[in-house]
Amino acid sequence: MTEVKKNYGKLQNYVNGEWIESTSGKAIDVENPATGEIIAQVPMSSADETKAAVEAADEAWPAWRETPPITRARVFFKLKELLELQFEDVARIMVQEQGKTIDEARGETRRTIENVEVAAGIPSLMMGYNLEDGAAEGIDEDAVISPLGVFGAICPFNFPAMIPYWFWPYAVASGNTYIVKPSSQVPITQLWLTKVVEQAGFPPGVFNIVNGSHEVSDTLMEHPKVKGISFVGSTPVAKYIYKHSAENGKRVQAQGGAKNSLVVMPDAALDRTIANMLASYYGCAGQRCLAGSNMVAIGDIADPLLKRWVEASKKIKMGYGLDESVNMGPVVSAKAKAKVIGYIDSAEKEGAKILLDGRKAKVPGYEKGHFVGPTVIDQVTPDMTIAKEEVFGPVVSFLRMGSMDEALDFIHSSPFGNAASIYTQSGKSAREFRYKCQCGNIGINVGIVAAMAYFPFAGYKDSFFGDLHGQGQDAIKFFTDRKVVITRWF
Amino acid sequence: MVECDFPECRTFGSVIRFALELEKGAAGVYEELANEPKAAAAAEAFRALAAAHKKRGELLEHTRQQKLNEMILEPIQDMDGTRYIIDTKTPKGADVKTAAGFAARIEEKSSAFYLDSAKIAKTLMAEAARIMEKLGKESLANKAKLEAM
Repeated sequence: MTEVKKNYGKLQNYVNGEWIESTSGKAIDVENPATGEIIAQVPMSSADETKAAVEAADEAWPAWRETPPITRARVFFKLKELLELQFEDVARIMVQEQGKTIDEARGETRRTIENVEVAAGIPSLMMGYNLEDGAAEGIDEDAVISPLGVFGAICPFNFPAMIPYWFWPYAVASGNTYIVKPSSQVPITQLWLTKVVEQAGFPPGVFNIVNGSHEVSDTLMEHPKVKGISFVGSTPVAKYIYKHSAENGKRVQAQGGAKNSLVVMPDAALDRTIANMLASYYGCAGQRCLAGSNMVAIGDIADPLLKRWVEASKKIKMGYGLDESVNMGPVVSAKAKAKVIGYIDSAEKEGAKILLDGRKAKVPGYEKGHFVGPTVIDQVTPDMTIAKEEVFGPVVSFLRMGSMDEALDFIHSSPFGNAASIYTQSGKSAREFRYKCQCGNIGINVGIVAAMAYFPFAGYKDSFFGDLHGQGQDAIKFFTDRKVVITRWF
Repeated sequence: MVECDFPECRTFGSVIRFALELEKGAAGVYEELANEPKAAAAAEAFRALAAAHKKRGELLEHTRQQKLNEMILEPIQDMDGTRYIIDTKTPKGADVKTAAGFAARIEEKSSAFYLDSAKIAKTLMAEAARIMEKLGKESLANKAKLEAM
């Protein structure tokens, strides 16, 4: 179980092509959630330090914008090549600071690199369009796609590598400059990646990292030179980010929370369904906005499904994610663990039945780890708190319903609309579900609806505030504007 | 003796890790057998086998690094890895027949591991299943060659 380093020391910001120690005098500890060890200190940078990063990014913008797209693309090809060399170290650092398993971390590292690969196609992705005689006879019309300036991302703890890469490669490849504020709970992975970015050859100021908390975020949202903000996190914060950024004239894409239901039809292929759903509910210890949370059994499949589900859940092996045989790591912090346990307690108080209880889970050798075991709660009803609120832990709320329409009504009663899945062997049921279901991501016999880099990603309703989603063509549109040019020659 | 650390096979990654340990163990044992004076007549064959197993390890590393994503991260339950653990304590002073017999048992366990893993991998990733099946068949062919020595 090789750790890349035992301790990463005092972390720095990366601004204008230089590693800079914060002068704020404030820092917080970064904890390994499996061992409880302190593995770094992350600075809480000040508003002035953030403003300096914005100024650096703004100064770098004109020259970067004038760099031809193909030349910008070459830097991304170099970055991809360098990231491949760091693949295993990036994954291991992620396990160490976030708690996910090494397989999950490798999967995330792959997704991170895929966004760089897609962004490297910028000469094609950013092409405009034109029409001869488009305005009138002898007057042509062109739509030119142009970058806008400085953008920023405020990132969550659950995907330390990938989520910043949903945004910044597209922004920078399009000719903008960028500032990332990593989650202060998991800043190390992003700083490690930035050392690779530094080697790839981006000019100073094009890509910057400022560590910190809301002071950094507010400065980015309020600074007149920042053109847009991308955010991923909880719904209350996403709402605030959306409102506050928009008030300050920014473009915003703010991804919020989720409460995803996986619907199991009576004709589901049970063996494969259970194996796939295990990954959805317990992968990343349930700390994914795409994770299954409610399990909705339709008709008489409920009892056999539940029996087998509990048996399979008991076999999930918990531990430090660097052990390759581990299926599930801890949740990210003591606070997160307390929150998850609070939800299980509330379900019990409201009359649900705890069939498998992960509240007192212990992993020998990792007594200081923030482990919550797989938890299965039966007799959950739609009005219970556990059926409605985002738990962000390895907790399965089991509901029984009579039909797909009843399940869809339940899904639509939620303020969230991030993802939903159906397990069925019927094409008709699958088609009906994908047609009717009002969520941004639909799974057909797939429990984690993880869009690839070349597809857009975001939810509906309170799971997303904004118009253009992350990744792919949506990202290019978010980070650019269309300029119409009408030309007449006398 | 080649030191190996075989994990429990509970995840896709741990199955690949198990396979990597198999390859490391086999390559190491064959290098040691190639240096056994009494088995000198088969030294070249053992060196070639060791090189082939190292190459297989590289293929597995590549598969793990390039092909993994969360849609295939389903837990693997009820796969008993202990059935496939190979003996990496190279017999000292072995002649060609003893050395080949020892190596054939490694290939036999490897082929069983890969062919069984291929069945599991089929539901997760077709390409991984194809690779495992290929390695399993290769090990079977190696076993036959070793038994003929």
